[in-house]
Amino acid sequence: MSPRNPAFRSYQRRMALATVVYVAAIFAASTILHHRAAPSPEAIGVALVPGLAILFMIYAIARLLLELDDEYLRLLEVRKALFATALTLAGCSVWGVLEIFTAVPPLPVFWVFPLWAVGLAGGAMFNKATLGTGGCA
Amino acid sequence: MNNRLKVLRAERNWSQQDLAEQLGVSRQSVNAIETGKYDPSLPLAFRIAELFALSIEAIFQRD
Repeated sequence: MSPRNPAFRSYQRRMALATVVYVAAIFAASTILHHRAAPSPEAIGVALVPGLAILFMIYAIARLLLELDDEYLRLLEVRKALFATALTLAGCSVWGVLEIFTAVPPLPVFWVFPLWAVGLAGGAMFNKATLGTGGCA
Repeated sequence: MNNRLKVLRAERNWSQQDLAEQLGVSRQSVNAIETGKYDPSLPLAFRIAELFALSIEAIFQRD
């Protein structure tokens, strides 16, 4: 990570804000919404908040790629996002096939984004192992 | 692609950080180029060549 790079500082600010909203929205949903109740307009409204937070996180990544003037650091960030996307899509597809054709427990789609976020950390480790540098965050 | 960046930098007693600051890139970028893990774009290759007052071919050679 290059904390002196202003693009990374802006990215970290945006991601921190989005993470706080995301966690707060999940906490609010767990306390406000009743388990297995019929989806009401209020429930949909509460559920939209974490979705908007995730959109802001993706926007933060897009802005980072636009604002980074260092082409090598940009490459590291793109590799991380690709690693996370590959891990998430492949993992969910494998589990999906198992869900349809075997007796494995269903994976709530809620976990797709946390899995992708874990994939970003995996991407940083992949960068470190193959290029010697992880990239931001 | 091979390059003489490390040698040229050493001749001037510059650290990777010194070179990175003059090029306007990160130290990681300089390290990745020197170790052959990353080939710079044409604009960055031109900036490197101008900094050392050499042609691109005098710094970067094909394998």
